[in-house]
Amino acid sequence: MEKTAGYSIVSRRRLLALGAAGAAMLATPGWMAAWADTIADAEKTPSGPVVKQAKKAGPYRIGFSNGFSGNSWRAMCIRALQLEAKSQSDVADLIIVDGQNDVTKQVNDIESLASQQVDAILCIANSGTAVVPALRSATADGIVTVPFNLPIEGEDYSAYCGTDPSRKGKSSGSWLKDALGGKGKIVALGGIAGNSYTAAGWKGAQEAFAGSQIEVLAFKDTDWSEDKAKVVMSDLIAAYPEIDGIWADGGQVTAGASKALLAAGRPLVPVTGDDYNGLLKLYDSEKGKQPKFDIGLISEPTWEGVLALRMALSLLRGEEIHKQLIITPKLITKDNYKTYMRPDLPDGVFTDTNLSDEELKKIFS
Amino acid sequence: MTRERPKIDENRSRRGPALRLGRFGAVWIAVLGLFILSGLISPAMFQLSQVLNILQVAAFLGVLATGQTLALLVGGIDLSQAGMVTLVNILSTSIMLGADSRTPMAILACLALAALVGLLNGIIITLLKVTPLIATLAMNSILFGAALVYTGGAPHGDAAPGFQWIGAGNLFGLPVSMIVWLAIALAVAWVLRKTVYGRWLYATGANATAARLMGVPVVPIVISAYVASSVLAALGGLLFTAYIGAPSLGIGNSFLLTSVAAVVVGGTVLTGGVGSVIATIGGTIFITELNSFTNVIQITTGTQMVLQGSIIALSVLLYRLIANSPRAQRAGSG
Repeated sequence: MEKTAGYSIVSRRRLLALGAAGAAMLATPGWMAAWADTIADAEKTPSGPVVKQAKKAGPYRIGFSNGFSGNSWRAMCIRALQLEAKSQSDVADLIIVDGQNDVTKQVNDIESLASQQVDAILCIANSGTAVVPALRSATADGIVTVPFNLPIEGEDYSAYCGTDPSRKGKSSGSWLKDALGGKGKIVALGGIAGNSYTAAGWKGAQEAFAGSQIEVLAFKDTDWSEDKAKVVMSDLIAAYPEIDGIWADGGQVTAGASKALLAAGRPLVPVTGDDYNGLLKLYDSEKGKQPKFDIGLISEPTWEGVLALRMALSLLRGEEIHKQLIITPKLITKDNYKTYMRPDLPDGVFTDTNLSDEELKKIFS
Repeated sequence: MTRERPKIDENRSRRGPALRLGRFGAVWIAVLGLFILSGLISPAMFQLSQVLNILQVAAFLGVLATGQTLALLVGGIDLSQAGMVTLVNILSTSIMLGADSRTPMAILACLALAALVGLLNGIIITLLKVTPLIATLAMNSILFGAALVYTGGAPHGDAAPGFQWIGAGNLFGLPVSMIVWLAIALAVAWVLRKTVYGRWLYATGANATAARLMGVPVVPIVISAYVASSVLAALGGLLFTAYIGAPSLGIGNSFLLTSVAAVVVGGTVLTGGVGSVIATIGGTIFITELNSFTNVIQITTGTQMVLQGSIIALSVLLYRLIANSPRAQRAGSG
């Protein structure tokens, strides 16, 4: 998959060719055939050793230890997972427990799911290190464990699925570099201070900038929130008379930062981010008035949990899978954003989703 | 401190302005000092646009801190302000749905809710005798939880365009949010300084038992301080919502401790009875200025937090020194 490492600006034809190559590669393992129904645009790259375990008789009871549930991404993730569980005939029960953003509570949650003898535990970890012993012991007890979305230290689990934040950062960084013609002053806005996801992404972006004339004016943490991003950006606007681009790993952040630019009467600039509907709507309404406004966005798919559940079920059914599955979502640009944007739905929707508009309306009401 | 009020004003007028600013003047020296220091390091801080930007953003914290001053004055603390900001943000945008016609209803609903929450806080603290710190921290958790339950984690709705002007607009070249903030703070300062109610607040915080013996209705006074704190938190939250324009579940988080810090940096004491809403304006500007300055210079979030924490701790130490000096024993309030 190295060939896709830098998205840069590729022609539609090249994208199609890559898609076809990806599809050919993915067509081989039989256990993946059923996945055609989820967002087909994203590449899904199996990696690591092929794993398999003794077939277990269904129906299965699945546990999901969610690190916390305080945002729309998690709400959509849970809904997608629930619908998937319902559609799989051999899933009897999906038990969801909320870690309330507390590392210790999540460890207890995983232990209690294990003691309830569920057949599989899915998990989005609050801490990639703290949950390791609990997952290890559950795995040793014969429970299928599939952490997803946020990385886990080591490999003491049955399988893992998620994006590669470093590669995402490299791709978004190289898009931004190209959008600026290899030259310009940018600011970078990260998530919650000290989080490893932004750190990996930002490192990737900086690798993409290497050798170009991109000058990084500042890196600031903005908690992946529109409010914090707007306040921080209004200070950066005062400090830097020229800001040509904004790198961020979240769409709320660049939406908030762009609104700060608008409030200060400054031109909008090329931004990175994700599939946050509010940013797509902002782009759609402002692009006509703002010639320099441009988007290069990579989602963190809310359907990752669906894939994690399917991987767990494959293992329970005695099928072979690769231990890791790395998702590479398609770049969202000015050319294809309309297929993602949901004009009649709230800003908070993450639009790279397999949920129907009807389901989304139910979640956001 | 109240009992000496007439004398205080007299003392103040006799003292020279600069060196004898005392407890509630010190913060303005700090505001000015930080302004000059930050501008020397980063000239951008001297720009008029940045000064106005800081005052615009300070308004949200400022309205909260005005309410927090009242809670601290009666010897309590209100840690539920942060949760109130989040809940008000979620509630108001979901009622407004971007329509100006629904703005009054949204504002009324938020203020009614805030009054109810303040009443509950006050009753739990006075009649059920739960420590203010615990009672309001628990309430904070309840309010944030309520916002989560209400939205299921997925907020929807938008601030109405006319409403957004209050948070983001300008009037005669000045940020509207700042004008709203200063009007509220000055009104509260007037109430504290000029009304019997204001004196009762101070008396209750200074010594509740003595106040009760003097005939001050201590329980209603304390409850009223929590209602005011909660309603002002809601107003601050509405103002911030008008600035951001969208619902955001984490919007109140940053206020949990800054609302207390702004008041304490202003010179109001945590033990009650001594404090000034006007000095809280200074404390608010100082905290926002510091935050803005640390955003502008190239330091990491970690360093930013260490710096802010140290300065707040240092200012409390300084106030203790000022408070212990004989001259300041007579320092005023208002």
